[in-house]
Amino acid sequence: MNVKPKALKLLVLAVVVSVATAFGPALRAQGADPIQATKGKAINMVLLPKFLGIAVFDQANQGAQEAHTELGNTGKLEFLGPTPENSVAGQIEIIKAATTRGVNAIMISNNAGDQLVPSTKDALAKGMKVVSWDSPIAPDGENLFVAQVDFAKLGTTMADMALDILGPDGGDWAFLSASPDAANQNAWIAATKDALKDPKYAKIHLVDTVYGNDKSEDSYKAAQGLVDKYPNLKLIMSPTTVGAPAASKFLQDEKLCDKIKVSGLALPSEMESYVKNDCAPEFALWSFVDLGYLTYYTTYMLAAGDLKGVAGESFVAGRMGTYTIEEDPSRKGGLRIIMGPFTIYNKDNIDAAVGSPAATMDASMAATMEATTTK
Amino acid sequence: MSSNRNWRFLLSWEGLLTFIVILVVLINIRLSPFFLHGDNLINLFGVSIEKIIVALVMTFIIINGEIDLSIASIMGLAASLAAWLTEHGMDFSLALVCSLLAGVVCGAINGFFVAYLEMPSLVVTLAGLIAYRGVARILLEDRSFTGIPPWYNDLGTQPILGQFPLSLLIFFALFVIAFIILHFSAFGRLVYVIGNNKDAALMSGVRVRRVKMTLFIASGIISALAGLLYVSRLGAVQASIAEGFELDIITIVLLGGVSIFGGTGTMVGVGLSILLILSLRNGMSLASVTGNTQSSIIGLILILSVLIPNLAQQANQAWKRRGYLSRPKEAPISKEGTL
Amino acid sequence: MLRPERLRELSLVIIIFAVLLLFGTQIDNYFNPRFFRTITSGVMIIAVVVVGETLVILTRNIDLSVGSIVGCTAYTVGRIVADNNSISPLSLILIAIGMGALLGLLNGVLVSYGRVPAIVVTLGTLALFRGALVEFSGAKSVTTSTLPVWLNDLGQINLFSVGPFDFRILVVPAIVVVIVFQLVLSLLPYGRRLYAIGSNPEAARFAGMPARRIVMIAYVLCGALSGLAGFMFLARFGNLTVVAAQGMELQVVAAAVVGGVSTLGGSGTMVGALLGAILIEIIGDSLIRLRISEFWKDASLGVFILLAVASDKIILGRVRDIAARNQRRLEQTPTQVAPQPKAQKDSAHVQ
Repeated sequence: MNVKPKALKLLVLAVVVSVATAFGPALRAQGADPIQATKGKAINMVLLPKFLGIAVFDQANQGAQEAHTELGNTGKLEFLGPTPENSVAGQIEIIKAATTRGVNAIMISNNAGDQLVPSTKDALAKGMKVVSWDSPIAPDGENLFVAQVDFAKLGTTMADMALDILGPDGGDWAFLSASPDAANQNAWIAATKDALKDPKYAKIHLVDTVYGNDKSEDSYKAAQGLVDKYPNLKLIMSPTTVGAPAASKFLQDEKLCDKIKVSGLALPSEMESYVKNDCAPEFALWSFVDLGYLTYYTTYMLAAGDLKGVAGESFVAGRMGTYTIEEDPSRKGGLRIIMGPFTIYNKDNIDAAVGSPAATMDASMAATMEATTTK
Repeated sequence: MSSNRNWRFLLSWEGLLTFIVILVVLINIRLSPFFLHGDNLINLFGVSIEKIIVALVMTFIIINGEIDLSIASIMGLAASLAAWLTEHGMDFSLALVCSLLAGVVCGAINGFFVAYLEMPSLVVTLAGLIAYRGVARILLEDRSFTGIPPWYNDLGTQPILGQFPLSLLIFFALFVIAFIILHFSAFGRLVYVIGNNKDAALMSGVRVRRVKMTLFIASGIISALAGLLYVSRLGAVQASIAEGFELDIITIVLLGGVSIFGGTGTMVGVGLSILLILSLRNGMSLASVTGNTQSSIIGLILILSVLIPNLAQQANQAWKRRGYLSRPKEAPISKEGTL
Repeated sequence: MLRPERLRELSLVIIIFAVLLLFGTQIDNYFNPRFFRTITSGVMIIAVVVVGETLVILTRNIDLSVGSIVGCTAYTVGRIVADNNSISPLSLILIAIGMGALLGLLNGVLVSYGRVPAIVVTLGTLALFRGALVEFSGAKSVTTSTLPVWLNDLGQINLFSVGPFDFRILVVPAIVVVIVFQLVLSLLPYGRRLYAIGSNPEAARFAGMPARRIVMIAYVLCGALSGLAGFMFLARFGNLTVVAAQGMELQVVAAAVVGGVSTLGGSGTMVGALLGAILIEIIGDSLIRLRISEFWKDASLGVFILLAVASDKIILGRVRDIAARNQRRLEQTPTQVAPQPKAQKDSAHVQ
């Protein structure tokens, strides 16, 4: 690999980024009408979750199937995933097989960090479209990333939730994450740490980050370890849907809910009882159905040639409205689409949310937070 | 005489595996037009190349009557150490050498406890599985290392001879070497003798400890090598790299007809088992059968491939018994009451 | 004269106390009531499975599918009771045990009548049972909010307390299982036969033992106990995904082997296996509480297990050595053989 073109590329990118950040909103405002999807093309697509058997990924598949029917794609949409214990090698195997079969596009929630890059590069080299969702791939291994939220914004939200729960007196709190190798969880935790530098969070102390490997029993025990290690702990923040209910169950079992709370990212249907008994006063999540839907739309339009996949392009994603491809400030040289907004759940809206099975967004009843799309 | 021998081959484990491999390959060709493409055939080996390299040395260990569950963790440790050393300013090539040495050390630790303290290898290497992975975690924590030099990444992804990437050539070379050592060397004989009856081997003056130590060290260094090859293919390292590979590797060896109690099994059987499992996986991936369905089917085939011939044999014997009133013979494939 | 099994159990008890002491000096407020509850409720689930696994290992077989059986039954029973909250506790437990026994029966038939090596069968069913669960689940989770109140509370019911230390009611089945099966092993002919088959399958068959049936029953019992453990798992954790209890098989085999159950069959006790489970649980749970970096935990756990087993080996080796020497001096008969010739050989190598 040659160094010079790479340096040049970086320079160009830097210029593009600075221009985009300076004039981005202005450019977008005067831009042409958003691009519409050409329906009815035959595009074979694969939706690849981190692994099978987790509710949120199946919801993403629901959304993608919905878009698949809506766009009248005469090709096939396949939902293929590895087993949880073989996720990295399994994801690579599925990408390789998809490349060999010559599908047109592949949508990946990356669970393999940078290890996926060589295989997705192969796929790109064969002319396939690679779109990541939920958890991104390194920029040179993908076309773009459909982000559920702006990562920096989510960091601030988690810090805000912590502040809200801990109150003006502050206190100790800790993260209960999935695994040390989960790229998106790591990014969110890093973003939260960044946000915490603001003096208004001075009184809340993030003391530790532990891991529950996205298993209920491990998360339960990890929560228990935290409580034992930090006598002044007042909050466990779990940015993963498996960890939050497990930690809540532990606190409830030990009758510690008055003293210690749970927050983070979780499915309303799995948190209902803990919200009601005040173990978990508030938590956040976005709709995975929508994320699957938007990812499908974006990928379809890329593969159909409607979108070129460059920053500044605006397009209509069916029922979800207009989105714009933009530079990703958190990943140099990467492109993203931010879905946003997401919902903060608490005892005021949990009933309504559980009533609609897949935590679908309904702005009228949810305390909706505007994400940074319109910044 | 000659026809008799052919008949015996068909009844043997290797014969059966050959038959199933051909069957699976035919089905794959029928189901997917891509199966026979050159790219795909390289892929077929490529996506599991590290596992099958380690399976070769695992064959020796299991024939010797031991087991090594720590292989995948040694792979992870070697990869993470190379990454960590590079992060700390060491030249990458030198880091590779150090990582191979780390593999030797891990293997020697396993070997010491098994051979000299006579502890069960299952426990020792289970502890190793946890501990070596733990060291990898200490080294890389939650970081992902991407500073691998392009030449090394190319080594894993680009063909160097014809269509073959380096790791595939290494596998073929190691297979030939392993075959010769196991079946045509004094050391190979010792591996079988000890696996068959350790006490008898001890009494006849075999240096059991030295053989076991050698095997575990070999297992350590080959696992480290496989871990480093995995890095060249993935282009990045995380502490969890190669996690959980041990069960897949052991499955390959057992399906190859190697008895978990030691003493029996051949390299040819393991080679056929590699072909079988890889073409099954590849065929299923091409047919979009993935995840738990795929692993279930492999599990099912694992069981059926032993069960069906056993049942056939039992039926055959029952029929013969009626005909000749001869005593039923023990099925050669399985032993009653063995693992 | 102590029997070798008793010696091993004694040395495990010593090691357990040593580990407790070590952590007690490192962790503030180590011996608190919650820790006691944690250990007991952690051990109770593992112990039930370990007893089943021990039955199988004694016959020189192995069951690697226990984690999948526990996960399958826990999840299935959870879904059943979520759909029908009025189902009675007893019938729920019976469903769990029955389902586990059925899965165990499949293993057992394949191993004993199909003559497929146990490790092949159970590696296969490990994947099969889990695969079936993932397929059947539709990626839905079992959550506490869908479970009846009695089940959510079951894990918290106190049987009695000694000072601040609570004994939860779910500890009862574990203790009963361990005692009953220890008695089965030492008193019933079935127990003696398990040892006989494991020590020498050929001889056992020539002696006219129905080896196949005995092995099959061991698998059915192992499955049934795993099913019971599945129910306890559900009661303890409440929230389950399809990966529930994944990897438990290694924990269980480790507990059995650390507890002195030989994978070559024919030797080991339920009490030993229980002690093994307790030791591993204590090490694991203590490391979680130790104020060290999260990233140092796994390495420490591995080293601890290795050291625990090695010191057990060395203590035992010495004690057996001395015992054997004393015995020889006492008996003064050259034909006298120590109770376990294998043990003698082991100790000879430690020197």
